[in-house]
Amino acid sequence: MSSNGSVTTVQLPSIGQAEQPQIHFLPCEIEHDGAAQVSHYFTAVVQDHKHEISVSYRGRELKGAEVSCPKDYTGLVMKEDHKPSSDQEDRTVRISSTFHRFSYWNLTTQPSPDDGVVMSMTWPTLAEAIHGSVDD
Amino acid sequence: MATKKKRSPSTGTDTWVVISADSAISTSKKDSRDPVIVRLKNPSTGLVSLYMFAGGDTRVFEMKAFKEDHHSWFIGQTVHRDGRLLYVTPVDPLYLVLPYLIKAEKEGKFQPVQQMVMDEDFPACTRLLNCLGEHASLAHIAEEKEVGNQKFHRYSQEKTMEWLKKKVDKTVKVLKNSNISVGGGVKSTTYIRVKKESDVSDEEYLRYAHGLISEYLSEDLSRDLLKHLQLPDVSSPKKVEPPNKKRKLSDKPVEAAEDYTQFNGRDFARKPPKKLTAVQKSLAKVDRTGMKTMSCFFSPKPKTEGK
Repeated sequence: MSSNGSVTTVQLPSIGQAEQPQIHFLPCEIEHDGAAQVSHYFTAVVQDHKHEISVSYRGRELKGAEVSCPKDYTGLVMKEDHKPSSDQEDRTVRISSTFHRFSYWNLTTQPSPDDGVVMSMTWPTLAEAIHGSVDD
Repeated sequence: MATKKKRSPSTGTDTWVVISADSAISTSKKDSRDPVIVRLKNPSTGLVSLYMFAGGDTRVFEMKAFKEDHHSWFIGQTVHRDGRLLYVTPVDPLYLVLPYLIKAEKEGKFQPVQQMVMDEDFPACTRLLNCLGEHASLAHIAEEKEVGNQKFHRYSQEKTMEWLKKKVDKTVKVLKNSNISVGGGVKSTTYIRVKKESDVSDEEYLRYAHGLISEYLSEDLSRDLLKHLQLPDVSSPKKVEPPNKKRKLSDKPVEAAEDYTQFNGRDFARKPPKKLTAVQKSLAKVDRTGMKTMSCFFSPKPKTEGK
């Protein structure tokens, strides 16, 4: 039995109904999945000073910055509404949200181009070099 | 996810945060079929990795996870515990068909490519055939014969080396134009980058590019490419410390299989394909969560080093 034969379909038409929520990348693991009053307790207290954003979260001061998706790339949130009952079943995910930028937050350091998540945004450029045609 | 602190284990996720190439999610009138995510054999590790086919199987992409410990997301008014960020980027299908051609070459004869690229453990591999063509021509890696209307191919090491050298050259060019640190350019304690790395030698760029390309090659091919590039096989390399330990840059090659594990989490977890060696099996059992991540891309080392 090979489970490698099953495919996961990404339902593209769902992109038409996708939301465009605000997205934050937090420097801590939150042991919860699901609804929360993010706008009430987080977004509302974000302070914006001359290109620098900060927020007080659980008694800590977080320093944040905005990061944009690389050119010709789009941020997606994929969601699976029905979990498969076996690993050989084909699956579907829909695109529940799209985004072109998000905020990321550091615990102690000032945001900088050396932050991991910012560095990771250069991967598409490298991938293009590694995988693009050699003929041009 | 087992962490040192007492945390409730993640029960698996039904949501993924992804940064995708637009070409993977665009539809044309000609082909409006939805993209599909499938499992294929990783050409470097031989293990399973996740790939995505789009445009009615004419374009193939790989999925890689960027992961740092202790992160979560707010998405609108929801919390999403799994702090991974997945990337969907184009992959050259030739890397993925190479192992099949090399395997078939042992028979020594020219064969139709459809006959070579098949794999009962990874049935989706036949989709790769639709991705070959003008931009990913088999002519780069194989000799071709045409009999009647049918084409036959046989793996060519010589051609493959030339093709890979072009890949390396192209990657070096991009690296030189980027601000990716290939040397010890990032000062570890201050997070300040030495901007222009004018003192980085061409050899360092070559080695770095070779390391990146090797993520898609078997160990043998990677070593052959090193020779072809006339780079000495350093058995005891100069100790170049990963520039920034805080970012957990690894000096080991990225195993994309781990990205697969990371993407899948528990609910996606699958049994390894049938024909694994004992070593692979033991590897497959290791919980890789929290080990190497996509940030390793920024500090690759050639596979042959440090052995």
